[in-house]
Amino acid sequence: MSDEATASPITGVFTLNPRMIEVRDFSFWYGAKQAIFNVAMNIPERKVTAFIGPSGCGKSTLLRNLNRMNDLIDGVRHEGDILLDGQSLYDPSVEVISLRKRVGMVFQKSNPFPKSIYENVVFSLRVAGRNKRSELDEVVETSLRHVALWDEVKDRLHESAYGLSGGQMQRLCIARAIANRPQILLMDEPCSALDPIATLKIEELMSQLKEEYTIVIVTHNMQQARRIADDTAYFLLGKLIEHAPTSDIFTNPQRIETERYISGQMG
Amino acid sequence: MMNPADQSPRSPRPVPERFLASKATLRLDALMTWLIRIGGVSIIIMVLGIFVFVLSQILPLFKGAHIEPQTETAVVANAAQVKAFGVDESSRLPFVYEGGDELRFIDLAQNGKIISEKLTLPVGARITAQDYHAGNHRMAFGTSTGQVGLIDISYASEGTGAEARIRGSAKTSASIPIGQEGAPVEMIGYGDSGSGKLFAAVQNQSGTWKLVVFPLVQKNSLLGAGKIEKGDETDLTALIKGKPVKLLVPQTADSVLVADESGTVSYFFLNDGHFEKRQEFRPFSDTASPAVASMDFVFGDVSIVFTNPAGETRMFSLFIPQGTDKRIYGQTRTFSNLPAGATFFAASERNKSFLIGSGTRASLLHATTESTRWEQTLAFEPAAAAVDGKFNHIVFLGKDGKIRVLGLNDPHPEAGWKAFFGKVWYEGANQPKYEWQSTGGSDEFEPKLSLVPLIFGTIKGTLWAMVMAVPIALLAAVYAGQFLRPEVKRVVKPVMEIMASLPSVVLGFLAALWLAPILETRVVSFFLVCLGVPVLAMLVGVAWSRMPVLTRARIKPGREWLALLPLMFLAGFVLWKIGPLVESLVCVVKDPATGKVTADFRLWWPKVTGCSFDQRNSLVVGLMMGFAVIPVIFTIAEDAISNVPNSIIAASHALGASRWQTVQRVVLPVAAAGIFSALMIGLGRAVGETMIVVMATGNTPIMEWNLFNGMRTLAANIAVELPEAPVHSTHYRTLFLGALVLFVLTFVLNTAAELLRQRLREKYKIV
Repeated sequence: MSDEATASPITGVFTLNPRMIEVRDFSFWYGAKQAIFNVAMNIPERKVTAFIGPSGCGKSTLLRNLNRMNDLIDGVRHEGDILLDGQSLYDPSVEVISLRKRVGMVFQKSNPFPKSIYENVVFSLRVAGRNKRSELDEVVETSLRHVALWDEVKDRLHESAYGLSGGQMQRLCIARAIANRPQILLMDEPCSALDPIATLKIEELMSQLKEEYTIVIVTHNMQQARRIADDTAYFLLGKLIEHAPTSDIFTNPQRIETERYISGQMG
Repeated sequence: MMNPADQSPRSPRPVPERFLASKATLRLDALMTWLIRIGGVSIIIMVLGIFVFVLSQILPLFKGAHIEPQTETAVVANAAQVKAFGVDESSRLPFVYEGGDELRFIDLAQNGKIISEKLTLPVGARITAQDYHAGNHRMAFGTSTGQVGLIDISYASEGTGAEARIRGSAKTSASIPIGQEGAPVEMIGYGDSGSGKLFAAVQNQSGTWKLVVFPLVQKNSLLGAGKIEKGDETDLTALIKGKPVKLLVPQTADSVLVADESGTVSYFFLNDGHFEKRQEFRPFSDTASPAVASMDFVFGDVSIVFTNPAGETRMFSLFIPQGTDKRIYGQTRTFSNLPAGATFFAASERNKSFLIGSGTRASLLHATTESTRWEQTLAFEPAAAAVDGKFNHIVFLGKDGKIRVLGLNDPHPEAGWKAFFGKVWYEGANQPKYEWQSTGGSDEFEPKLSLVPLIFGTIKGTLWAMVMAVPIALLAAVYAGQFLRPEVKRVVKPVMEIMASLPSVVLGFLAALWLAPILETRVVSFFLVCLGVPVLAMLVGVAWSRMPVLTRARIKPGREWLALLPLMFLAGFVLWKIGPLVESLVCVVKDPATGKVTADFRLWWPKVTGCSFDQRNSLVVGLMMGFAVIPVIFTIAEDAISNVPNSIIAASHALGASRWQTVQRVVLPVAAAGIFSALMIGLGRAVGETMIVVMATGNTPIMEWNLFNGMRTLAANIAVELPEAPVHSTHYRTLFLGALVLFVLTFVLNTAAELLRQRLREKYKIV
């Protein structure tokens, strides 16, 4: 599996870590309501891992814990642990800001800032104090090229991001998320608000991005999971039911719940 | 394919009743629509109505004088020889003195019937000089036999209703011989201030003229007021260069003005019983015809209107030039030219208006505003003119022997753009100024109606209030909106809203009676706290961010204030306590007279800056008004900040931005329009705030940015003065003008703000 591995500019290692993210017996509560029950799983480096499951099954909650976005919500608590490259995310010595620089995120609804396309892309660099014009220009171009948006927007980089179409905006959000070159990219149903053509573009993009990034994607669209994911995890009512390579899940599910879900009998 | 026959129109099926809206719903809908419409329209009508009312109160201020001919009565045979001409206060019984020994009253109500009053002159004497003062109906005279005296003209009403008549009478006082016995008096001037009486006369003493000045003195004895006697004569002849042509004695009876042939005016001042020549000036020295053709006092006897033979008209007023301590005359006004030197002049006894003219040209001018109220070329040539005491009529005595009464309607001569918004050189002032002083102690008072100091005061009060309020309110809103934990915010916000509902009269009361006395002695402490506490908070912030991550993790985000608050209180307390110590070290003032050294900010501030220090000052107002404005700004700004969509805040956090970076780069720009609205609403509150300013400042209409003195705002001015302004007087209407200015000020501000807000909203619109 490491045949194709090339030198990562981020980690500088040649072997890929099969346990890039390690979820250990993780439970999570919103106030009194438990959303995740004792989930344990490993997410491998530079693969696309899809979380599938019916609404309210905890897949988004788990995803949002991977960069501690749930910290912004009041009254949440957790048990168990999540390790990134062997270090706990919840260790007091972890700066949540630097964690989020390592773990980028793309949201369900595209949410560009009310700024220009250019400023959207370089936001993460600017907050990190990197303001050198030449560097920013370069990052804008590579990031936008990466998401195949460059040719469409290169003449209006300094116009508002709100002039873009829905699919373009979502690709801009992905470009923004990868501008600072995180190790992991979390995607929370990134195509749910997009039309099929835009969806296809994003999916193509993901298969390119996994060359460099570890991608975790939450999706309702099982066909999408099937098309893009290397591994798929099926959640139901806050529990991890099955986690296996995608082809196995879809062709040979081990659990009856999984089978019922992917065959459309439930969910 | 369809059969075309199938497409033939069919009568529509009746709609089932369950799809129909009920009649009651429709009726209620129509009713509510109308009610809302009526409500909306009536609000617009009401606002417009108020606006129209205010305008209707203001517009008369800007109207000129309205003058129309009323009666014309032929009476006098030889009007060109008229020596004195005057009217009663309602222009019904003018009198004419043509020389000789009788004064003729002309009853205009009886078609010009002449009633002669005999004057009791010394035997063999003839009046050769006279000086009639319209204000007190008194004519001073000098005779061919070297005597002077006074004729008091009085009017009395007789009968009632249609029979009502005014009867005039003239009482001649005993004559007093002056100077050289028997030498004729050529010119006379007399002033009477009640306590002082002063005569000035030019006497032809065997071919040479002499200027003789003497007071009348009244000796008081135990038995009461004694007889009036002539005081010591002073001969001022040597002090003037040419032969006198004009002589003026003001009603203050403390000075004499003499204009000579060359156009030089000498000003003699009675100082401690002695006359000193205080000033010599040539009103027209810079013109081609420097002679003085006329010289007359404007009401109040502080300003003199001069004309020269070319018709140039200038006004000189008494004032104390900077750096001196003596009042002298200086030119303060120039009026438009007359065709030639003035041949008639009449000053109003109500205001600073005066009628002046030359030949057939007549102008009604106003001294304060330097404006022409009315101007006309008459069909006849007046020999003399008078303005009655009520300022309701102008009466001309034509050279054709006719008396013409003109109705005069000019209720607001002192108003005008220049008076309200321009710099005006008021009587007694040493330079043109913006000044507000609407009422004064005496009738001669010149109202100073500049709105500029009030506008300035409004801006100053607002500015200081905003300086106090904006940083606190905005930072609090940001903190509450983005940092504070929601359970604390749920308490903080309603508390702030209660703060907004405190009546401003309570705040004003607190400011004036509680805050002002404390701040007066603790200015240094206050500033130490103002500077020290924020600096401390920032230092703690820096120190905190340098601490190891493990230490910082002990306090959850959003709870930091619990640690900071006691520290800030402690620092505030300590700084407040060491204030007096700092004051005793820094604010040291040495009294130049006694050499005593005191440490007091109240003395130190004026010494260092040259500005004054008042107990009720802008600092107090700024603090209290800031207190009133903070909750307004806080509530609206906090709403705007809380309304920033979570999605983009989450996006910012997910990109590794800290809380402050998120606020600074995402929240504030997006909330900018709302924050701006908050600032503008706060500004509006401060601009219109009345009670706090009325109570907590000295209400002094001065124009200084000094933090340690007061101001008078437009709103406070209306509150303070409207109750005592006579309805429809200039003062009353000017207060309404102040209200309009306030309205325009807020209107312009709000419109500009709204435009800016729209742009901001457009720029940071979230899709």
